[in-house]
Amino acid sequence: MENIQQFIESGILEQYVLGELTPAEQADVEAKAASHPEIREELQQMQAALGFYAEAHAITPPAGMRERVLGNVMAQIAAPTSALRADVDAVAQVNTYSTSPAQPTSATPEAVVRPLSSAPVAEPATRSIWAMAASVALILSLGANGLLYSRWKEASSDLVALQNEQSRFAATTQVVEKKLGELREENQVLRSDEFRAVALAGTKDAPTARARVLFNAATHKVYVDVKSLPALPAGKQYQLWALDNGKPVDAGMLAATTAAGEDIQLMKDIASAQAFAVTVEPTGGSASPTMPIQAMGAVSI
Amino acid sequence: MSDNPLISLPPAAEAELVRRLQARDESAMTLFYERYSAALYGVIFRIVKAEDEAEDVLQEALVKIWHAFASYDPAKGRLFTWVLNICRNLSIDKIRSRQHRVGSRTQGLDDSLTAQRQAAPATFRPEHIGLQEITQKLIPEQRQIIDLLYFEGFTQSEVAEELNIPLGTVKTRARTAIKVLSKLIR
Repeated sequence: MENIQQFIESGILEQYVLGELTPAEQADVEAKAASHPEIREELQQMQAALGFYAEAHAITPPAGMRERVLGNVMAQIAAPTSALRADVDAVAQVNTYSTSPAQPTSATPEAVVRPLSSAPVAEPATRSIWAMAASVALILSLGANGLLYSRWKEASSDLVALQNEQSRFAATTQVVEKKLGELREENQVLRSDEFRAVALAGTKDAPTARARVLFNAATHKVYVDVKSLPALPAGKQYQLWALDNGKPVDAGMLAATTAAGEDIQLMKDIASAQAFAVTVEPTGGSASPTMPIQAMGAVSI
Repeated sequence: MSDNPLISLPPAAEAELVRRLQARDESAMTLFYERYSAALYGVIFRIVKAEDEAEDVLQEALVKIWHAFASYDPAKGRLFTWVLNICRNLSIDKIRSRQHRVGSRTQGLDDSLTAQRQAAPATFRPEHIGLQEITQKLIPEQRQIIDLLYFEGFTQSEVAEELNIPLGTVKTRARTAIKVLSKLIR
């Protein structure tokens, strides 16, 4: 038992899933996985995790690639000549069987030769009728196969399209649900009595700036709701500060959508504040506010 | 796991695909392409970092998957895992066969990190939501290590050397990163 745990934690499984092991070492891991369910389970989880990571990085291939790649792949893997040859062989076999009853069955080599030399004129005719019938049957069958194959391909590409559609819907639904969850959360904040609304008014440097901070002194949660803030030059971002006993405390960066007033944003937790202020900072924020303050408001008590 | 929208192929559909590939049904390759090309191309592209080479590798991989299918054993793991490994191995062979490999290694690391930053999708795409979440769940050190191991084809010892940190640290971080990822899909 301890041995297995040690084996799992030795790092060799990581090397296995990342393809770092030699074939012999791989075989050893696979043998251990086959006889120990714990190892198998661990391996499967790790492979699923990396598969998930890979899928999260999926890139839709460039336009036109599908036709090129699939076309080349199909050309390389398809074996139309051998399939045809099989059909031809089948026809040849039909001929052999059909003509054999006309031949006298004899074990001696002379017996085989004799019918050929003394064969009635009718035999080649029978042969060719059979061959023609078989050829017609082959042509009909190839035609029918072609038709069935193309219908089947259509059906299978329809199925693929539907499955793709379904997974797209699933992804979209997930996004919508996430958004809905966020809206619910916002709504709760807006309706809660525990949150105190702090109106931030524009200073002389940004007279049109208007925003609101929702501050919950009990849970320390801070939300910011922008009414209007001047557009920023590239490389700049708005930063919210809580002023506690005159000392500015970083309350987080305003996302672009927040600054544009599209949604309200949860900021960093603030234990205590008497006022909030917004400044313009380089993207990513500063440790202390760069003057001038753009908008500011005091927490009413 | 199967209800995670990121795992594109539910096990039942995968079993069907496996059955058709085992039956040497060529049209299954079209289905295979529809289902896996984006995931496989994403991985290949991140390793070889050039569109035309990525296309070559994907094509090579599909042919290889077809011909080597007899060696796929469903008991050993999912089809997706198997094909991902084939694509990663071919891509890593590709970058390793490049002449200037040794010289470009340090350069490669910088490039890959820049490429990652630039690779962030500019437009909102619902199918990328998973990537955003992962980025937030993995701390930068873990992400860097998993990317070097997974997308740059480094071995753990090479990562240790490249980042100048002990091999033990690389092992721990790799293990933790994979653990964090597997928690995300549960």
